[in-house]
Amino acid sequence: MAIKETLQTTQTTQAGESAETSSAAAPEAAEITAGDNDTAQKINIEKFSPRQLMELDACTRCGECSNWCPAYDQDKREPLTPRGRAARFKDLVTRQHGVFNADSLLGRLLGKKPVSAQEMQDFAKDLYACSTCMQCHFVCPVLIDTVELWERIRECIVDGGYGPLETQKDLVLKTKNYDNPWGQPRSSRARWGKMAKKKKRIKEVPKDISKQKAEVLYYVGCTASYDNNVEEVGINTTNILDHAGIDFGILGNKEKCCGSVLLRMGDRASFERICSENIEQFNALGIKTLVTSCAGCLKTIREDYAKVGELRFDVKHTLEYIVDLIKEGKLKLINNVNLKVTYHDPCHLGRHAGCFDAPRELLSLIPGVEFIEMERNRENSRCCGAGGGLKSGYPDMQNQISQRRVADALATGATELVSACPFCYQGLQVGIQAMNAPIKMRDITELVCMALGDAPTTEEDLKE
Amino acid sequence: MYLYFEATAALYTLTVITAVFLVAGVLCSVILWKKGKAKSLHHKPNISAIIKAFILEVVLQVQILKISFVRWLMHFCIFIGFMGLLAQTTVMAMMSHFLPQDSVVAQTFFQGAGSRVLDVWGDLFGVMLLFGLTIAIVRRYIVRVEQLETILKDSLSLIFLTLITVTGFLSEAFRLMDPQYASVAWYSFAGYPLTQLLQAIGFGAMNYKVWVWIHTIISMFFLGFIPFSKAWHVFVSPIEIVLDASERA
Repeated sequence: MAIKETLQTTQTTQAGESAETSSAAAPEAAEITAGDNDTAQKINIEKFSPRQLMELDACTRCGECSNWCPAYDQDKREPLTPRGRAARFKDLVTRQHGVFNADSLLGRLLGKKPVSAQEMQDFAKDLYACSTCMQCHFVCPVLIDTVELWERIRECIVDGGYGPLETQKDLVLKTKNYDNPWGQPRSSRARWGKMAKKKKRIKEVPKDISKQKAEVLYYVGCTASYDNNVEEVGINTTNILDHAGIDFGILGNKEKCCGSVLLRMGDRASFERICSENIEQFNALGIKTLVTSCAGCLKTIREDYAKVGELRFDVKHTLEYIVDLIKEGKLKLINNVNLKVTYHDPCHLGRHAGCFDAPRELLSLIPGVEFIEMERNRENSRCCGAGGGLKSGYPDMQNQISQRRVADALATGATELVSACPFCYQGLQVGIQAMNAPIKMRDITELVCMALGDAPTTEEDLKE
Repeated sequence: MYLYFEATAALYTLTVITAVFLVAGVLCSVILWKKGKAKSLHHKPNISAIIKAFILEVVLQVQILKISFVRWLMHFCIFIGFMGLLAQTTVMAMMSHFLPQDSVVAQTFFQGAGSRVLDVWGDLFGVMLLFGLTIAIVRRYIVRVEQLETILKDSLSLIFLTLITVTGFLSEAFRLMDPQYASVAWYSFAGYPLTQLLQAIGFGAMNYKVWVWIHTIISMFFLGFIPFSKAWHVFVSPIEIVLDASERA
């Protein structure tokens, strides 16, 4: 019954019939100090680059983005499309900062009205209905750097006090107060390692790299550190690195969030603080490589940190690193893993960081794996909806988006849905559970461990 | 005089008004862009990536071809047709204005073989533009492709471009009714059949300059409002395409 209801909701939203309901169900934007009818605070236009402001003129309104946007797929309202968002923001900016702005004589003669706080609040609600999956950039014929633009707009929205949404504020606050978005104490960050050792899932807790030097830092990330449901990611990665004889360590309780949540939500000032602290900490370790299992952390550290400061080490996703280890002969995948798998490209690993080949290469190196591509893969991989604050801001929409992706996976006939991001793992689990889908979510490291003989490989073991 | 009509004070006045609107429109946009103070580029410009993107994505528009052949054909024809006609008009205007009328180049292009090249050039790009516009109109107003959300700006651009193209062909067709062009009329491979068609349905020779003026006024109006219209993307989008290519190289 529950499944039927969920599917019915999906169909309704896809048909666009419940647009009004969806809109009405949108969470409230941050409370505005000024009254609803008052003039909005001016957008700090200086925060944009000339190129970003030019991009607003570069949009041809072709609407290709609307064919692919996962949010619009669930709520067929034009303001949710990247096209609609760009047009709306251009209108706000030109009314506030254009030569013929609403304050100028010519602007008034042309009928330009000042931007109201209510308009800005409405815009913020729709702006946060976006998982920053970057699909719009890849299908845009003009190749507008959309996500950078959305994140910059979010920053201005936050500065003006119109964002993030109430339901997202908690994530930001927790990240700032606890160095992780889950609001867990710093002291329990490395608990997963101790528990895994106690359960004999790993031989040793990875060494504290701040005390004992190592060439490789395994940056575990918040989700894999704190969420018991995805603790396998940390455990498997540890076992793989141990198996290959890698000299690695973790930061343990000294590890801080990469700040991705802050950046995606628009709190750039807090992001830059945490980013600078992390860069300083990482560089001081004297490491050669930072390895992370989280696509979001990878994108943030490799792409966004590099815009803030110099990184004196390589940044690799675990699976990229594993492929290197296999090629160097340090890892030998010997056990047959007789599973029918399909692979979900995490947005932050694929479209954002350009890593499409490594996961497929890795899957091809695992003996016995039957790999089937989903219809939408690589650059056109459908988002799971978990990123960009969508999951916290619009959980129902995320659930529907996730179900769409799970349906893609089911259509392949695969029994295992493999990905390479703890956040996608969580996000896709939402869909699997909602649909009670006969497919198992797995992190790619789990398959590697099976092939190494460090994890159950037989059907009976798997059932256990 | 290849422009087929005298460069009167009225034409100069119209040109100046157009230029004022064009420059003002461009300035309005650039002034707004310049208010942004963040870094536009995070890497040094990659010239080879820029050239490659310009050829493949701006001129050939392969990224649209990957999505849809029909959309590519439409956009390619409108873009190349429009740019080709803009180039032809600019070349003709420059030659008419700056070249001594008795120079070899002027003689060649105004009376000699060069003028035939310009005839073919104009018709070729005019037909391309008209073909592209036809597809665009069919997609937007007849088939009503779902992804297209039509606002006034979209319609105005299509209306103006269509009017420009149609009045361009009409002015050419009526000009070719003049017997002095009879021997070279077929170089206007699209304009001349239109001449014959008009004659067949009863249109006699008339002062084609009226049509030239209508065409000129509409064209100038459109050019002046490009920065305020959808057509602005023709000049802005290529910049974004090459910058994106450079940044990702």
